[in-house]
Amino acid sequence: MIGFMFRRLLWMAVTLWVVFTISFFLMRSVPGGPFDRERALEPEIKKNIEKRYNLDKPLIQQYFIELGNVCRGDLGYSFRLGDYTVNQVIAEGLPISVALGVLALIFATSLGLIAGVTSAVFRGTWTDVTLMLIATLGIALPNFVIAGICIILFVFKLPIFPAGGWGDFNQLLLPAFCLGAPYAAYVARIARTSMLDVLSQDHIRTARAKGVGPVRVVIVHALRGALLPVVSFLGPAVAGILTGSLVVEQIFAIPGLGSHFVQAALQRDYTLAMGLVLLYTVLLYVMNWIVDLSYAVLDPRVELE
Amino acid sequence: MPTNRRSIIAWLLLLGVGAGIAWSLVGSDLPKADFTFINPSEVKSVDPALITGQPEGRIASAIFEGLLRYHPETLDPIPGVAERWEISDDGLVYTFYLRDNAKWSDGTPLTAHDFHYSMRRFLDPRTAAEYAYQAWYLKNARRYSQGGSGIEPGDAVEIELNLPVDAVNTKRGEVLLAKLVRVEERGEDERTFIVQLGDEEVAFCPTDDKTAATSEPPKDCRWCRQVLLDFREVGYEVVDDRTLRLTLEHPTPFFLGLLAFYPFSPVNQACLEKHGSPTWTDDEHIVTNGPYYMEFRRIRDRIRLKKNEHHWDRDNVKLDVIDALSIESITTGLNLFMTGEVDWITEVPPPAMRVLLKEQPPRDDLNPQPFLSSYFFYFNTKRKPLDDIRVRKALSLALNREEITKRLLPGGDLPSYSLVPPGIPGYTQQKCAPEDPDEARRLLAEAGYPEGRGFPRIDILYNSHESHQAIAELMRKQWQRELGISVRTRNEEWASYLASLQQQQFNIARRGWIADYNDPNTFIDMFLSDGEQNNTGWANAEYDKLVKGSSYELDPEKRLRMLEQAERILMDELPILPVYSYVSKNMVKPHVRGFYNNSRDDHAVWSLWIDPDYKGPNEFLRGRE
Repeated sequence: MIGFMFRRLLWMAVTLWVVFTISFFLMRSVPGGPFDRERALEPEIKKNIEKRYNLDKPLIQQYFIELGNVCRGDLGYSFRLGDYTVNQVIAEGLPISVALGVLALIFATSLGLIAGVTSAVFRGTWTDVTLMLIATLGIALPNFVIAGICIILFVFKLPIFPAGGWGDFNQLLLPAFCLGAPYAAYVARIARTSMLDVLSQDHIRTARAKGVGPVRVVIVHALRGALLPVVSFLGPAVAGILTGSLVVEQIFAIPGLGSHFVQAALQRDYTLAMGLVLLYTVLLYVMNWIVDLSYAVLDPRVELE
Repeated sequence: MPTNRRSIIAWLLLLGVGAGIAWSLVGSDLPKADFTFINPSEVKSVDPALITGQPEGRIASAIFEGLLRYHPETLDPIPGVAERWEISDDGLVYTFYLRDNAKWSDGTPLTAHDFHYSMRRFLDPRTAAEYAYQAWYLKNARRYSQGGSGIEPGDAVEIELNLPVDAVNTKRGEVLLAKLVRVEERGEDERTFIVQLGDEEVAFCPTDDKTAATSEPPKDCRWCRQVLLDFREVGYEVVDDRTLRLTLEHPTPFFLGLLAFYPFSPVNQACLEKHGSPTWTDDEHIVTNGPYYMEFRRIRDRIRLKKNEHHWDRDNVKLDVIDALSIESITTGLNLFMTGEVDWITEVPPPAMRVLLKEQPPRDDLNPQPFLSSYFFYFNTKRKPLDDIRVRKALSLALNREEITKRLLPGGDLPSYSLVPPGIPGYTQQKCAPEDPDEARRLLAEAGYPEGRGFPRIDILYNSHESHQAIAELMRKQWQRELGISVRTRNEEWASYLASLQQQQFNIARRGWIADYNDPNTFIDMFLSDGEQNNTGWANAEYDKLVKGSSYELDPEKRLRMLEQAERILMDELPILPVYSYVSKNMVKPHVRGFYNNSRDDHAVWSLWIDPDYKGPNEFLRGRE
């Protein structure tokens, strides 16, 4: 187990290095630099700025300087948000994205489970068909479409939520719902399948034969077993939700990592974009790692090699 | 698996969820601001010397104040920190008298020395201020800001010595005053400066602090940070604590207007040297002198401004708390405006604009008005077939600008036949010929392409944006229809597009320009043959002579005539293709007072106030048909 963790850590370092190298050269190979703007800079002044950010040095030298800095955990100053270091930007943005993600996850699991279990219990009825139709739609519709529909419904037609922004709980609900909706749909489908599986098993029949009420059978006896596949889906989903909030954050003007990422890429903010790419790599890696570990904990048949 | 282990996982999960929700609730309970507006992009910085954009300017002109500021309606320069000034008869020497009660936001007095410190810092090549050239109208300012390249043997120079590596980065090293004897090239890109220091000749090698601390200088040489012109040579001197004297290179009629521009704001030396750059701009450190100070700043969320109780004009500043939300998406901005969350937005998505303008009765929060700006296309006059003036004329004559503005620009932007937009008092626009497809076909045939036969494949370059794309497509169709030529469109994302312009990798490319000050010069000097904005490859000696001559002309009438003649040349030779001039696209709530449509779409927040009971049309709606 220890050996497994250690190996994973090593692989993470290698992956980070590869991601760093690829992003570094990709970013610099697109035409146009971070200091191009409508007003051409005086050559002397441009040289000065470039010197400050080491852009006057040969590419390979820039690469090693930056690699060294990144290894020390120093991601440097953001090119575009000149008053902040990349670490500060991440420190401000990450909690916001996490808060949004957690709420989205709550929506995803609670809505998904309720829908999945209900349609399993009422299998073959109109309820089942309707719920699964909604779930399929939820998977098929990209979240910016869902966001648009939600804004029309709950901001303009029925004004109960603000149109965007950040700072109070009310502003969080709508984006969290839109972010969580596709995941809720997945959860619903997974929960339905596993619930059907469990409901047809012997111990449920036994419980029913002993006269246990239908609600108790579903919630106490069946749900536990049906939860396992859902839990194993949630691991990668967390990573997906944290990294997948780009669009939703833009639409609802939420100052999380997603909006930073989009703007950093558009504005050639090399340092910030690099910092976020590396952060996302770590997030994905850690989430997968936790999922692997939790498999071992949940299911004794899995051995970590 | 054992039950207790599973329940631990469940509990951990629940705990995590709880913690997450608690976390998300932190930051709520923010009291609502008196006035909220949307700044359509996150500001790059709030350091007035380092910023160039419009969103940055809105914040900087609220928290800083220069010698002068702009009148909110006319944008004429009005007294700021300076209460009065005198201009010499030759238009070269400006003397400013500062107010006694000018103070920083920490209560300390603001003096002429602060302005001197700030101007020197602004021009210092190490500051790398992008707008430094705006100060080049000051005598020798250009040479100072060019550092080692701006000095010649015989000049009085200052040598800044190195500081230890861990010194605060805004501190200046010790400064030695000397006379430059000669400059020697040393290796690639490096120079040795030999100066007369006292009685002896000393050689100085500029380097960074790290090298200076760790390695020995070359033989017979001393390390220094930089060698530049003696700042006393620059036309910016302190007469006494309350008086500044500025000397210009040549009479500059718009100079007062420039001084009100935010890069000329003073910064607080004590604050800078205590915290270093950029840390001094943190909300807990920053000391400013404007009508507002920055209470806090959250990245890509908001900047909260609070009234500065030390400001000399505090009795006339009416709003106490202002929120500037940084929201990039203009649709989201419109949603927030429509739901009453914000009081002012600067942009409206075109499809929404079309609907909003059609509403009856007309909306009381929308009033697009023209301002000094120009949307045009560059012709690359170095490439065939656009090097032929007849081809350029044919393309202009075949263009139906009315169709473009009517169909694609719902805000009511105006078709334009000149570079300089209408609205500059005393100036007569010089226009190119209006639409005439027959003449266009004749010219094209004369140039060797009858009915478009044999016309090379050229493209229209624009930066990726829906509205630019629509315009380029319509131009393509019009040219196809009228001239029978086929043109392609090509879009590039902003940074690549700028690079293509600068390397002249285009045939026809779109461009937009907004006046920096209320004078035709801000448009016309773009096309000097050495102008940094002149990416057309076009050069005209007569044009250069007129434009440069106009900056020495003291008679304002004659000066404008010279600029008119220059624009005439431009419109006869057509290295550019004017298409339209913009209208502003602000939406302002009816209860906001003191907001004016003005000639540069530049709006200060210090002059605004809120009047919830006000029923009549506010100042913003003036001039509406």
